[in-house]
Amino acid sequence: MKYSYIKPRKKTPFTADVQLIVTFFSITIIMLISTYAFLLFKDYSFAKERANLMQSRIELEKNIEDMDQKIAYIKEQKALSEKVFTQNMVLKDSIANLFDLVPERITLSRADLLQNGLILYGVTPNKDVYNFMLQAPLRSIFQKTYTSFYPADGGWLHFVSTNYVNEDEGEELNSEN
Amino acid sequence: MLAKIFEALYLKVFVNIIVKRASTVVYIELYSKKGSVDNINAEFETIEVNEKLLEFITSYTRESPYYYIAVLDYSSLQGALPTCSKNKLPYYYDLSDCEYKCYDDKWAYYTSKSELYEIEKTYKAVGVDFIFSPFVVLAKFFKDKIGGHLALYALVQDSFVSIAVFENSKLLYAEHLDMNTSNEVDDILLTHDMEEEALDLEMDDGIDLENIDVEDSGDAIEDLSDIEDLDAIEEIEDFDDAKDVEEELLESDDVLDEADEGSFNEDYQRFSLIQTSIAHFYKDEKYESAFLENMYIADAVGVSSDLKKYLEEEMFFNVYIRHIEIDAEVCELTKEELGL
Repeated sequence: MKYSYIKPRKKTPFTADVQLIVTFFSITIIMLISTYAFLLFKDYSFAKERANLMQSRIELEKNIEDMDQKIAYIKEQKALSEKVFTQNMVLKDSIANLFDLVPERITLSRADLLQNGLILYGVTPNKDVYNFMLQAPLRSIFQKTYTSFYPADGGWLHFVSTNYVNEDEGEELNSEN
Repeated sequence: MLAKIFEALYLKVFVNIIVKRASTVVYIELYSKKGSVDNINAEFETIEVNEKLLEFITSYTRESPYYYIAVLDYSSLQGALPTCSKNKLPYYYDLSDCEYKCYDDKWAYYTSKSELYEIEKTYKAVGVDFIFSPFVVLAKFFKDKIGGHLALYALVQDSFVSIAVFENSKLLYAEHLDMNTSNEVDDILLTHDMEEEALDLEMDDGIDLENIDVEDSGDAIEDLSDIEDLDAIEEIEDFDDAKDVEEELLESDDVLDEADEGSFNEDYQRFSLIQTSIAHFYKDEKYESAFLENMYIADAVGVSSDLKKYLEEEMFFNVYIRHIEIDAEVCELTKEELGL
């Protein structure tokens, strides 16, 4: 300010029009950046959610596998239980049939059921009663039958009858059951 | 740094406003880094900022944010003082209500603060960046002359005459003369002069200019119609006499042709004001008085030959008239202010 009484106003290229344009573009750019940031966030969020879902899926698949294994195990257990039940039923029937085989004149004191055989302990009035009334049906069932006698009180005889079936037949019977 | 880059990219628009008696001249210059690109001059029949003027200015200022509005101070309460020392200024004029600035630390020019505010208020719609004193314009315009011998310099505007006496770049006396209030001022001064008629101010060369001036101006005011008749005769008779062979003398035929009754009255009024002011310079002991022989006029309005004639014949000056494009000069000042 060499000669003028007053100082000039400060000049700036940012006039009202320029300020309006700059404001407009600034708002537009801010909105675009905001939208881009929002989309980035959503993308990140979706990616994270997808990863979580993938993890869940893997876990669920693993659970399904576990459950399948458990189901298979349970099925096996069930099959086994059914098999045992059936075997027990067969055994029960066998025992019932066995006791049906024993005539009234022979008294059993003990019976040992083996995997492939049967050992009977008892008292018989004599050998003939035993041979005709018990040994005959036992022979029809077991391939090997061994009997030993020893005297008891009152002229009766104690007997021990050991009966075996053949291994092959025993397995066939098991497989049939 | 960024501001300078932006500044280099834009054109600068200099709007220079010169307020005349009943109109406003707006000179606009478009300025690039390489120099002046274009300039436009328009005159509006208003001294206020009307819609047309505002639209004209804004049509250019909106092209660049770097626009500068300069106004030539048109307040009547302005002047210049022959010192720049704060202690000495009150000796010449009470500057308590004035804004003043020093010119080359040699002399000071001032204007009324209220008038400055009034100018700023008037141009509030467009804003004002610079307000220049006519004395600065005068000093700049005659910078090749004021460094020389003693001379009287005058800037003649439509309704103002700014006169200054310089000797070796030193201001001896200055006054801003308002033609709108001149009649009242003249009456007062004339009365004052009449009362002091008995005083004889002895000059170095022994010529009593004061008495001659006062008497002549007194007669002229009292019997103006005779002067008008005289002018009609002198326009024919003294036409050749006015054609002095001087390099700065401006006496175009156009100017002389335009010397009708209205311009004569105005020129006579100017002459009268100058005469009275010089009388004041000679009389007032505050000023370092010296006998004036030469007068340089910066003519912004196209004065008639009558003014020159009267100054030469009545005040015995060697008068040199140089035409001034005052709006362009104000524009140059604006550029100088901005360091361009």
